[in-house]
This record gives sequence, structure tokens and C-alpha cells, in this order.
Amino acid sequence: MTPPRLADRLLHLFCAPDRLEEVQGDLHEEFQYQFRRVGARRARWRYWRDVLGFIRPFASRRKSKEYQKIIPFDMIQNYFKIAWRSLQRNRLLGFINVAGLSLGMACSLLIGLWVWDEFQVDKGLPDGDRLYLVRLTDGAYTSDILPGPLAEALKKDVPEVDKATKFTVWSNDFLLRAGNRFGKKVGLYASADFFDVFQYPVLQGNPGLAIQSPNAIVITRNVAQAFFGNSQAVGKTIQLNNEKYYRVGAVIENVPQNSSVQFDWIVNFSEAEEGWMKTWNNNAFRTYVKLKNGSTQAGAEARMAGLLPRYQTGATAKPILQRLGDVYLYGEYTNGKPTGGRIEYVRTFSLIALLILLVACVNFMNLATARSSLRAKEVGIRKVVGARRLSLIGQFMSESLLLNVFSAGLAVGLVQLMLPYVNPLVDKQLAIDFTAPLAWGSLLALIGVTSVIAGSYPALVLSVMQPARVLKGALSSTPTGAGFRKTLVVFQFSLSIFLIVGMLIIGRQMHYIRTKQLGLNRQDLLHVAVEGNLRPRMEAFRQELQRSDAIQAVTTTGELPIRIGSTGSLDWPGKDPKTDASVSTMKVGVDFTKTLGINLLAGRDFTAADTSNYLVNESAVKMMKLENPIGAEVTFQRGKGRIIGVMQDFHLSSFHEPIRPLVLSNYPKWTNYFLIKTQPGKTEEAIQVIEQTARQLNPGYPFDYHFVDEEYEKLYRSETLVNTLINYFGILAIFISCLGLFGLATFTAEQRTKEIGVRKVLGASVGGILVLLSKDFLKLVFVAILLASPVAWWAMHRWLQSFTYRIDIEWWMFALAGLLAVAIALLTVSFQSIKAALMNPVRSLRSE
Amino acid sequence: MKRSYLGEFEEIVLLTVAVLEGAAYGVSITHEIIEQTGRSVRLNQIHSALERLEDKGMVKSEMGEPTAERGGRRKRFFTVTAYGRRTLEEIQEVRVTFWSRLLIRGMQSNELRVMS
Repeated sequence: MTPPRLADRLLHLFCAPDRLEEVQGDLHEEFQYQFRRVGARRARWRYWRDVLGFIRPFASRRKSKEYQKIIPFDMIQNYFKIAWRSLQRNRLLGFINVAGLSLGMACSLLIGLWVWDEFQVDKGLPDGDRLYLVRLTDGAYTSDILPGPLAEALKKDVPEVDKATKFTVWSNDFLLRAGNRFGKKVGLYASADFFDVFQYPVLQGNPGLAIQSPNAIVITRNVAQAFFGNSQAVGKTIQLNNEKYYRVGAVIENVPQNSSVQFDWIVNFSEAEEGWMKTWNNNAFRTYVKLKNGSTQAGAEARMAGLLPRYQTGATAKPILQRLGDVYLYGEYTNGKPTGGRIEYVRTFSLIALLILLVACVNFMNLATARSSLRAKEVGIRKVVGARRLSLIGQFMSESLLLNVFSAGLAVGLVQLMLPYVNPLVDKQLAIDFTAPLAWGSLLALIGVTSVIAGSYPALVLSVMQPARVLKGALSSTPTGAGFRKTLVVFQFSLSIFLIVGMLIIGRQMHYIRTKQLGLNRQDLLHVAVEGNLRPRMEAFRQELQRSDAIQAVTTTGELPIRIGSTGSLDWPGKDPKTDASVSTMKVGVDFTKTLGINLLAGRDFTAADTSNYLVNESAVKMMKLENPIGAEVTFQRGKGRIIGVMQDFHLSSFHEPIRPLVLSNYPKWTNYFLIKTQPGKTEEAIQVIEQTARQLNPGYPFDYHFVDEEYEKLYRSETLVNTLINYFGILAIFISCLGLFGLATFTAEQRTKEIGVRKVLGASVGGILVLLSKDFLKLVFVAILLASPVAWWAMHRWLQSFTYRIDIEWWMFALAGLLAVAIALLTVSFQSIKAALMNPVRSLRSE
Repeated sequence: MKRSYLGEFEEIVLLTVAVLEGAAYGVSITHEIIEQTGRSVRLNQIHSALERLEDKGMVKSEMGEPTAERGGRRKRFFTVTAYGRRTLEEIQEVRVTFWSRLLIRGMQSNELRVMS
């Protein structure tokens, strides 16, 4: 006899689940008792009464809080225990996972630090959102090297401009002397508003006031410390270049290392000012403005547009502004519009960091899915015993979390170890600031994201398995996630191939840059600063050096012939007065073409007598459309003069820039460097001679020299950085992918032990089995080659576009990358395959 | 003596649990009380009293083995905790003190009657 069903249903409806069993049990027992005592009818009747009696709050109150803790600690403890055990059971896979993840994390942490630092450049100055760099653009060519009077004109004519300052762009690496201490420091000649625009933290004195005076110098803390120790520096005197004495007017905090304006000292602009600097057709200065509160960039630019023609007839250029904080990352302009710049490298590397991290996560997923047929049994049993899906997800996630936390710890250690080597490479002072919440936050975010990505596949896929199917063995015959696994391997190798192609092409472009004939010879070329007594005795020094047989030729020049940034406007009879003929220019001394090995197509080099004659390059001749350039009359920096020689075009700047028209003037007074060509193989001897002569003629100065080659390398600092980094990242990505592949190969070989045993017994050769095991992986690598090649081509094509002079992308580069990938994959897989193929079938089959 | 209050019915249920010595569960307690006191008690009253007693910490419970007559469901067995036992003893003590005082007074009045 059973109690009334309807009453039971009612009980189910309101009784708390955790109480139901006991209550219903008691009710049923009572029912049976009453049934025996008073019969069915009355028992049923009583049953109803009793059930209704339980409609009370105490029975329906859920005790949920006591049963489900918000954080089930013991369960989590168990998760970690199981995770630890499953790691212990398969140490190789654990090692591969940790190695891959920690390398990937270390790499993305490093890149993260770098990216963070890049974004910090020029940030943090007071009123930073009102500071702008001024550029001039004629619609096609944009330059930040501007004419001298512009800063004053901007301040006077544009009401939006609050302050404007200009400073010299060339390097003033001058000797500073205070008492018996001396040293060379780089400084700027800046106009009076400088410290109103750049409000660096002040340590002593008032820099804003000091810069107004032509007799004061403002120095940074480093300089103050080097020359005056800890004593008060303001009021003391510093002698510049063994010439004029300046009073220290103020000491400011050191300029941040990542600032785009770098200097150790600043002196009023008027101290360096010359007549030509007051003209509108010589560009040699950088100009920054601070806009008034509430003024917009667009408003200021609109007002500036008509400024230049008021001062310079026929001028077509107009000033444009860029916020100081954007200059570093978005410094490239095409047709007068910002088109990115360094930000592209920042983006690229962020992407690469992400991808490498993903590759490491993919390793984890791959190995987890590969092991899934083993784990599936465990999951099946767990489910049968009553594990809910959520707790299974929790288990796999905590396994992933455990590994990730461990790897993150290792990664931080790795980064700390690597930073001393990375910092000189990227020319930064990166460090993990463990006191910053941001650092911890990002680390936690990194762990969180990788844990979730890495753990998601096993957690989500394994936890939905049907226990009945799993335990029947339906799974072992069809490997789970094989398709997914293949996709992941293809992804990993696509990235690797992409990076190999990148390595090849960037490497070759860099090689091309280094070895391409520039049109001038920078081999065995030294430069020494024109300073102190060497300036008046310039010619004596030159003559003295040339007497040595270790030295081929000596000349002087205003800028190094590496990045010629100054421009001036050229005039010649027959010039269309409407066009603005801005040409690149350098002030040089005699023997310029001889020292630099520049080919003279016609005419001759400068001699000391050529005070108002000019040398031009082919492009300038083309621009002027001269039939007979030699002897043609032109007007330039030194006034009206004649062209005495035509040089074959040579590269004025980096390969990103086309060769522009160039006019050289013989103006030794304004040269800053001796360029000294030594005899090949006699560099040591030459340096000795130079040093002796310099000490003799210029005793007050420490002797210093540099190789032009090194300066040339600096031109391509970002490219060199990219080249180095992509090499490291490429190797890293390949290494991590190989780790994954190795683990996968180990696993497949293990899984197919029996199959291989049977095949060997039936007469398969070792070679045959090798092919069998490697074939599957190779197929994936081939798919990866097909996928990665077009993407790599596109990306590299875009990168090369930024060079005016570049290599061609050729098919063999992709073939080589593919071949490399295949070779690497084969090597990785072969170790396991050979081991499996050589195994004695007796051993593998014995267990059955 | 700052014990939590124990109602009369609760006390009886607690006593029954103590008496049944490990065999106390809903039905057995109900039947025991009906037998011993002749009151008509219903299951839901017992359950709610047990619930209150457990909340007060006087009894603790444990699930037993499944039983066939309950359709494979388990019983919840109750035992008296040390605290519950002490409470019972204290209630008893209080009553004993009162009763003894009552008895002495009765005896004294009897003596007086004899003397007069």
C-alpha cells in the first residue's frame, strides 16, 4: 500500500530538498504503521493531514547556506591535490607546459614593460595637454626643423599661443669647466620661454628667470652633482668651451631618460645666434608652443595657416601642431598628415607578445586534449559518483591555474634575470616595479587570462562527456579533439613561419642597408668635435693630420653626413618665383668629397678660396633644370655664388627618405666635426696621431673620437631593435611550438605503441614507421606554410614600404622559411618517432 | 543559570530523545510520546521541535541507513548533546529544589497540627 501520490507531490513542492528525505521517510513509515493499525482509508486520511501539517516555515526553509559555502575550500584543496597528482603522473608534459608558459609569459612581460615605457615617453610634464610641437608642411613634405623667427612670430601673431620656444637641433657637446673639474656635456641654446613650456621640476634657483639672461646657465642635477658635489650650485660659475663664463642660474631635475628633448645644460639662444638664424629661409630649429587654456589645436592651426606668407613672400608651407605626448609614437608625416611612426612597432610587438602567449596556451590545450582520453575515464568516474559539471570545470581550471601561477612565478624570475641583458638592447631602463599596484594587477590579469584560455578547452569539452559513453570505451577509438588539436598545431606553426619569414626579410633589409653603397664611403671614417682651440686652429689641425701617412684626408662638416636635416631655400636665375625651392644643406670645409669618397660628376671640390661657391648634387641639378651646371649662378646661404662641382647623388639620411636636392656651402666657421679618413688597416696608428695632435693644439680638452659607422647604425636604431627582437621572438615562438609538438609526438607514439608493435611483427621497416609517425605532423606544417605565407608577405610588404630603398620580396624566402619549419618539425618529431620505431615489439605487446 | 528557554513540549521531546538512546527519530519519538503521555502528537510538531532543539544545540543528528519500509529513505537519528543533557539536569535540579522545599513546608505544617 502506498501513501497518496498527490500528497507526496505536494510535499515535494514545499519541503526543503535537504529535509525531504527524512520527512518523507518518517511520513511513509507512519503511514505504514497507521495502515496496519487503522486501515487504508484512515491511514490515507491521516497522511494527508500530516503532510498538510508540514506546511510550516521550518520545513520549507532552505538550509542552503550551511551546505553550500560561497567558497568551497575543501573542494578547492582537492582540486589542487588532483592537479598536483596529475602533474606528477606525467612530468614530461608538466615540464613542457611550464616551460612553454613561463617562456611565453616572460616574453610578454618584457614586451609589456617595453610598451608601457614607450607610452610614458614625454608624458608627465605639467600642462602636457597644452604642449605642442610645431611642424611646417607644404602638403607633401613635413619637417620639424624650422626657421628661427617662427617661434617669435607664432607667439606674436597667434592669440591661442601662450608661450613659444625654439632651440638648436644640432648637438652642442661642449666642454664644461668649474674650478678643476671638467667634462663634456650636451646642451641646448633655447629661447626665453623654454622653461614656461617645459616645466621640469626645479631643485635650485629660478630657471625661467635664468634663461632670460645671456650670462646664466641652467644645469641638470647630474651636472650640478658632478661639478659642485652636494653644495649649492646656484651662483657658481661654469666655463663653456674654455671661453665664456656663465653663472649657474638654476638647477633642474634630470631630464627623464625617455624624453625626446635631451640636454644637460641650457643657455640663452642669443648666445649662439647668428645673422642667418634670423632669416626665414634657413631651417635649423625645433619649436614648441604652449597653447592658452581653452584654446584648441584646430583653432590655433587655423590661425597659423596664413602666417608664413606674411613674413616670406611665396611661402606655401603652413605650421601644424602635434601634441607633445604624441610626437614620439606618431612622429611620421606623409602629405602633411600624421601617419603613425613608432606606434606601429609598439602595436606589432604587442601583437607578437599576445601571439606568443597564445602559442604557449595552445601548447597547454594541445597536451590537455591529447591526454583527454586518459582524463576522460577520470571524468566519467567522477560524474558517475556525482560530480557536477561546474565542479569538473573548476577542477580543470584549477589545474590550469596552478600551472599558470607557477609559470608566472618562473616568468617573473626569468624577466628579472633577462632585464640586465635586454635593457642595453632596447636602450631603456626597464624594471618591474613590485611596489606598483599596476604591476601586480597586470601580473594577475596575465595569470587570469592565460589560465582561462589554457584551461578552457579541457574544462569545457571534457566536462560535458557522457559518462556512459566514456566508460564503455567509446572514446579511446576516436581520439577526442583531433581536429581541434590539428587546428592548434597549424596555428602555432603558422605563427612560427610568419616569424621566420619576418626574420629573413628584416634581416636581409638590414643587411642591404648596411652594405649598400650610399654614394659615400663611411668605412674607416672617424669624427672628432671641433671645439676649443681646434676651432681657430682648424686648418692647422687639418694640415698636421694630413701629414701622417695613416690618414688619407680630413675635412670639416656642420652635421654628420648621415642625417642631413637642415634645409635652406635656393634661388637661381630662371627659378619660378612661385615655387619654394627648399633644399637640404650642409656647411662643410675643404676636401669634403675627397674625404667622403663622393664621386664628382663634374667640376671640383672646395678650396679655401671658395667662400661663396657651392657644390650641388645631381638631384639639385635636376631640380634647377640646368644644362651646364658648372659655373651657374645661384643664391644660397653665403649669398650669390657659382656652382663649382656636381656630386653624384648620395644618401643624405636613412633609407626611409628619398634623396633630396642638396647644396653644400664652404663655411668652416659653422662646422662642428672633423671627418678624418684613415688608411685602411692603420686605424690604431691614425687615432694615436689624431690624439697627439689634438692634445698639442687643444690642451684643455679631453680627446674623444667616434666612428661614423656607429652613428650610421644609430639611424636605424628602431629597425635594428626590430631586427634583434624579431630574431629572439621568432626563435622563442619556434621553440615553444616545438615543445608542444614534442609533447604531442611523445603522446601519439605512446598511444600507438601497440599498433607499432603489431606493424613491426608483421614486417614493417623502421623507415616505414618513421614515415607513418611523421606524416601527420608534416601535413599540418604544410597547411601552416600555405596559411602563413600570404600573411607574412603582406606584413613584410607593408614594412618594406616605409623604406624608399628596399629589397624585393622573393619566393625563395618563403620556401626557405617553409623548409626550415619542416626541418624543425621533423627534428622534433623524429626523436620520438625513432624511439617508437626502434622499440622491440615484444616489449610493447607483452602486456596484452 | 543563563540557559536558553526550553518549552514544556521541547523538554518532553528532549527527554524522549534521551530515553530512546540513539534510536530517536521522528516516528519513534512521536510514538513514544503518544504512548507515555497519551497526548495526540503529530509528526510535524515533533519535527519542528527537533529543529528548534537542534538550533539551540541540545540535540545533534545524523543520517542513518536506508530502510525498506520508508521506500529506501534514510532516517535522521537524534542524540542529546552534552549541553542538552546539562539543561535537562538543571531543569530537574530546579524542580527538585522546589519540590523539596514544598515537601519540608508540608511536613512542618503536619508537625504543627500534631503539636496543637
